[in-house]
This record gives sequence, C-alpha cells and structure tokens, in this order.
Amino acid sequence: MQPWLEIMQLRKTIDDFQLGPIDLSFEPETIHALIGKNGAGKSTLMKMLMNLAKKDEGQIRLFGQSIQNRDESWKQHISYLPQTLIGCNSFTGLELMKLTSHWYSTWDQKYFDQLVQMFDIPLRKLYRNLSQGVQKKLSIALTLACDTDILILDEPTAHMDIPSKQMLMDILVEWMERSEKLMIIASHQTDDIRKLADYLIVLKNGQLLGKFEKEELASRYKRYFLQQPLPNKPIPGEIGRKGKQIVITQQQENTEQYLIEHQYDWIKAESLELEEIITIMLNQPIYQKGT
Amino acid sequence: MELPIQIAKDSPEPIYYQLEEQIKALIASGQLPAGSPLPSIRALSKDLEISVITTRRAYQNLEYEGFIQTTQGKGTFVADIDDTKKEKVKTETVYKAIQTAVQTALRHDYTFAEIEQIFQQVMVELREKEGS
Repeated sequence: MQPWLEIMQLRKTIDDFQLGPIDLSFEPETIHALIGKNGAGKSTLMKMLMNLAKKDEGQIRLFGQSIQNRDESWKQHISYLPQTLIGCNSFTGLELMKLTSHWYSTWDQKYFDQLVQMFDIPLRKLYRNLSQGVQKKLSIALTLACDTDILILDEPTAHMDIPSKQMLMDILVEWMERSEKLMIIASHQTDDIRKLADYLIVLKNGQLLGKFEKEELASRYKRYFLQQPLPNKPIPGEIGRKGKQIVITQQQENTEQYLIEHQYDWIKAESLELEEIITIMLNQPIYQKGT
Repeated sequence: MELPIQIAKDSPEPIYYQLEEQIKALIASGQLPAGSPLPSIRALSKDLEISVITTRRAYQNLEYEGFIQTTQGKGTFVADIDDTKKEKVKTETVYKAIQTAVQTALRHDYTFAEIEQIFQQVMVELREKEGS
C-alpha cells in the first residue's frame, strides 16, 4: 500500500538535544505507536508532522506532497491532539466546538454529540473549570469529530479514569473503521500499545531505533528455562541471564539453534511481555537497528 | 461478535496460523454456521491484542481456502462450505491433537508401547464416564 505520510532524513536540534535523522513511512489502515522515554523526542516529532515545530533538515510528505508549501490545505487531512491544549481556558466546550468545526470541512456534528454524551462532558463550563481528565475527554471529542484521514494523538489516555480509558480504546478502534484511516499515537500506557498498535516506532534520545511490527518484534524475544547450567560466556542472541539456567534472547532463532547444537535441553521457552521488551530496548545501548 | 479464540503467545506456531486453525475448527464444528458475521479485522486484533497485519493474514488465508467471504462494505461472513470439507477439518483437528499428545509423551521418554497403554486407559476412563 502507498504510504500516506512519509518522513525523510528529518533532523532538528534543540539546544543540546538532537532529533534524527528520521526516516519513516505510514500506510493507511494502520495504527502506529510512538514509544520512548520522557524526552526521547516523541512530542517534537509529532509537532513537526503538524508543522508546529520547525525542522532543520529533511522532508515531510503527505499524500506525496511536501507540507512545506505556503498553502495549508493539507491540514484538512490531519487532526492533532497535543498533550495539553493551550489557550482554551476562557472558552466553554460549546465555543471550542464552534471554533473547531469551523476549521474542518469533514467535521461530524452527530459524532461529536455522541462522544460528548458517552464521556459525559459538560459543554457549558469553562475549559479551565474542568478537571484534567474531563479536559482531555473534551479535547479528544473535538479532535475525533474532525473525522480527518489522519489522527495524531499525544498521550490520549493520560489523566483519564480506568473506565474512560477502556471506552476510549473502543472508540479509537471504531474511529479507525469509519473509513480508510491512519492513526499515530504516543503513549506510555502498555494497554494502549497492546490493544491498538500494529507498529511500534521506538525512539531513544532522539534516535530512531526502528519501526517494528508488533508480533514480529515479540517473536524475536524469548526466555529459556534450561535443564543444565550454561557456560559462562554469552551465547548467541543472549541479552540477559538469571542464575545459570534462565536466559533471555533477542534473536530467538540463533539462540535456539545454539542450544540444540550444544545439546542443552529446556523445560520451557516463554515469550516476553511487551512491557519487558520495550524496557530492554530503551535501556540497552544502541547497536542494532530495526527495519 | 466475540469469538472464543485463545492465542498461545508461547507456542512455536505462528499467531496467524493459530487464529486460522481455530476459526476453521469453529466453522467445521458448526459453532459458526454459514452466514455468521465475523468481527472486523481491527476489532478482532484489539480483542486478541495482535496487529491487523497478523489478523489480515489469517482472514486472507481463510478466504482463499473458501471458509469465509468478505463483502465490500458489509463485512466478513462464514461461507457455505460442503460437508466433505468440514469433515476434513474435523479429522485434521483430532488427528493433530492426538499427534501432539503422543509427541508430548515421547518428549518425556515414554516408549510407544507405554503410550498405547496410556491411550487405552484414557479410553476406558472416558467410556465409563460416558456410560454413567
């Protein structure tokens, strides 16, 4: 499938922080999760996609066209939910609705009303008088109802109560099925990543570790419980050990081949939780690039 | 439209294959009769916590083998499959289950004769249960 959004050799330097070079492409009907520690560059990358942060070098193409043009009609295709909305405090939900709907020709009023009802959002209160969680719900409703082709969400479930998080997950799944859509979501919630993401984009200190298909990534990692103790030197693919008989690998095939060749039997081979894999990737020194 | 499907993440069998086999078994056993709607690829992916790439692969294979049909704009449905095909899936499912059981026994250093003995014993136990 032709990608809708492409990033080529994107770079930005902020003080002593360097983001990039980043090359990525995003195909329709997929959900991409942006993953990284605080300060890894996720939000900056999202802002650059919206042309809200200036890039130093590189290109961003939307439907094959550079977004650097003066003409900003491309913004009709993307809606963006920042971590915090700025400048909304003195408006009510109703006023914000009028402002937002005015900008997007694809605005779906019926859908917005439905979201407001589901999340139980008081539209007549001033934004600043809403709790953080309700502010988030309102901004999500405003963003989703734009019904654009592409949706960029920066930590959508932060500050939300548990039932609302679960509901949002279903809403996002249904949003994806409204038509051909693309979603990019930055999140620290493993539940969001497990249930929503097709691809994981992993950023570390401004560097792109890679874009990984979820199951493909998970299949690389395994934990073996061996029957005999291992030799002291590391075995192929090994990234960690617990005692002498439990070993973790990130190259499942190589490790298994070694174990069979050297006649080590194992009692159990188990997959790692996504949370564990992400922790390993983000804590490991950079040496291996993904596809 | 939730399907009683369980993905074993620790299994050496790829996830798309597990999904494919389990949907086939649900169809062959009649639990999913012809015309039943299947969940959308996105919804099933969320429930099983897998990517749409994996689910799509399973659906494509099932469609290719004639177990399901996708109608543009309407969704995916169980296809009308003949009894010979159902029978074949049933046989394969049972055959595979027994094969796995025998392999497990072999891994635990049982001899074929011993395995046969266990098999007979299980048969006797289950017959008694059925009878009572």
